[in-house]
Amino acid sequence: MQRRDFVKAIMAATAASAATPAALAQQQAAPAAATPPPPPTAPGPVPWMKGLMEAKPLPIGSLVADSVARSDARFLTERQFSTLRRLCEIFQPPMKGYPGALEAGVPEFLDFLIGVSPAERQQSFQAGLNRLDAEAQQRFGQPLAAVTAAQADQLIRPWLRTWMSDHPPTEPYENFINLVHEDIRTATENSQVWSDAVRRSGKETPNVDLYWYPVDPDLHRDGAPSLALKSTHTKA
Amino acid sequence: MADEKVDVLIIGSGHSGGMAAKILTEKGISCLMLNAGPVVDVHRDTDVKAAYELPYRGFKQPGQLPHVFQSDEFNANTWVDEKEVPYTHDPKKPYNWVRVRLFGGRSLFWSRASFRLSDYEFKGKTHDGYGDDWPISHADLAPYYARVEGIFRVQGELANLPQFPDGNFIPDPDPWCGSMQRFRAAAAKRNIPISKQRTSLGIDGLASSVNLLLPDAFATGKLRAIPNVIVRSLTVDKSTGLVNEAHFVDRLTRREMSVKARVVVLAAGTLESTRLLLNSQLGNSSGVMGHYLIDQIYGAGFNCSVPEARDGKSTDQLMSGSAIIPRFRNISTRESKFLRGYALNVWSGTGDIEPRSFAAYGAELQQKLQSYNGSGFSTGIMGEVLARRENHVRISKDVVDAWGIPSLHIETSYTDNEFNMARDAVDTGMQLAEDAGFEILSKNYDPNPPGYSIHELGTCRMGDDPKTSVLNKWNQSHDHKNLFVIDGSSFVSAGWQNPTMTISALAMRAATYLAEQMRLGNV
Repeated sequence: MQRRDFVKAIMAATAASAATPAALAQQQAAPAAATPPPPPTAPGPVPWMKGLMEAKPLPIGSLVADSVARSDARFLTERQFSTLRRLCEIFQPPMKGYPGALEAGVPEFLDFLIGVSPAERQQSFQAGLNRLDAEAQQRFGQPLAAVTAAQADQLIRPWLRTWMSDHPPTEPYENFINLVHEDIRTATENSQVWSDAVRRSGKETPNVDLYWYPVDPDLHRDGAPSLALKSTHTKA
Repeated sequence: MADEKVDVLIIGSGHSGGMAAKILTEKGISCLMLNAGPVVDVHRDTDVKAAYELPYRGFKQPGQLPHVFQSDEFNANTWVDEKEVPYTHDPKKPYNWVRVRLFGGRSLFWSRASFRLSDYEFKGKTHDGYGDDWPISHADLAPYYARVEGIFRVQGELANLPQFPDGNFIPDPDPWCGSMQRFRAAAAKRNIPISKQRTSLGIDGLASSVNLLLPDAFATGKLRAIPNVIVRSLTVDKSTGLVNEAHFVDRLTRREMSVKARVVVLAAGTLESTRLLLNSQLGNSSGVMGHYLIDQIYGAGFNCSVPEARDGKSTDQLMSGSAIIPRFRNISTRESKFLRGYALNVWSGTGDIEPRSFAAYGAELQQKLQSYNGSGFSTGIMGEVLARRENHVRISKDVVDAWGIPSLHIETSYTDNEFNMARDAVDTGMQLAEDAGFEILSKNYDPNPPGYSIHELGTCRMGDDPKTSVLNKWNQSHDHKNLFVIDGSSFVSAGWQNPTMTISALAMRAATYLAEQMRLGNV
């Protein structure tokens, strides 16, 4: 898609620059009535297109922004973000040559993901972080970000459940604890640093699958008016 | 301007539309096929990617496809976007309408589980007094099942069970693995049957209309097809009472067009076919259209571990393959808490165990995942949902899709019959697993929302009485003899079985009948 847009942009720019001298030439030629106008240029391939067709693709590859840049956390409050960071350390620490959630940029990624999620999910996530932090304050006199691993375990373990796909616990706080655990694990194992670690250990890249691009996407998805709305065939 | 009258207009390109096209064109009848979505080119439309290369790191885009539990960030673009083609339901009665509009429809992605219905389904009322019998029996459909099984290359094991009719199968060459043998022995002690799975092998693992049915139809030179056109309505010639024209809209340009046809074969998928007929206000003199929406309960089940396969001792001989416990309830006995029955799919494998199977985290969880790796054994229910008139669809008064076509309102829910069935399935399955010496890791009694199975059926049910059914036993409209509805909407009861074999066999039977009626000049 991007490449198509790039080609389109070049074509538009070239057409514009090609049109300008022709227009000027016509203006300049106008006083000389005896001079016949130049024959119109037929639309079609122009010489540079041959070069474009034969140009070798640039070695851009597929650089993922996460590998060189950090996501800026923007959604959670500073306190909530600190709580999430501590949860990431606890749930998914670095192990046996594999990066932990912090190394995988999971707190920042989840801040982004939750920030673009439906309101219900946002509220559930924030309420869960707030409650966890409040319980740490109540029981140990400090925020979750500052409790020891043993103290955090006392707060978390009673809420851990086993569950099956599509059926997480329904009690809201249980739901939060178990889903945030899964989210942290998934975001870690789906990160590039994790994949790099897997490859270093001699195994194949994990979490690889067939990705489907939009198939012949509808140009009117943004709600352009449709003749159909006026159709006599439409029945209410 | 073209003003051709096509012989047969087929709307939809999945298994049923593909089957009709194959049968009709092979008998020399010209067909035009319309499909709402584009043609897939896997080389152009896909790429192998790692999750970290995707915009949401393999998480589904938040808010996208909330009703399609099967979707993920890799495959999200294959499903119908419900913002583009919306439907409505009571928030307290969710419905997962899972749709594909690519050419070939859902036949591109189905699980390939291939079963026949038995007379415990076709003649369910005769057996237990509930609901209605179909106007046909297994014997009526058996010759067509056999031909469909041959085309789809169904692999299976003969079971010799009346509730699980045998068919034209390719023998399953794989032996039972050790864990399955233990589970099977535990089932035998309780007189519960268990069989190898029955699966369409297709060609290279694909058993779709696009590779098994439509190539034959195109090879006749009698099939033409137009992708990316959405049929808005059908109209009837008032002087003859026959359907005479289809009005459609180009998906991309919004251009409105019409085509005349001698016969219309509707194969758009259960609820899309019904939606089109309701929007067209035809074929519903019975008032039954839209009612008796049925499907199958999925989602209840359990995961367990085979202790002998842990700690690096898992092998293919111990852990591999799948099996099925076909319906065994309410066959020769009568359950007090539910009517009809369910099947259990059973899987054994050497792969990873899901982390959610353990209430642990960090190093402790990692140690468990390592130890239990390759020991997973799991089951899932496929249960019959009873046909009830109140479970229905109707046209939404004020919601239209991206092309201005009125949407469906879906109103359906499960009852204690389905919930009790799910509980029995999980408890019974766990008992067998424990008898076999397996450790239960996680369980779930709650079915997924209606629709999840992608086996929506009914809403244009067949029957002998035009006052209580939409179609006759040939999938032909009681009201308009040149209108055939050949997808799952004709079902009278759902059964527990994946319906693809039955839909395909019914489509083959209906198309064969239609061709003969056209030859005789009756249609």
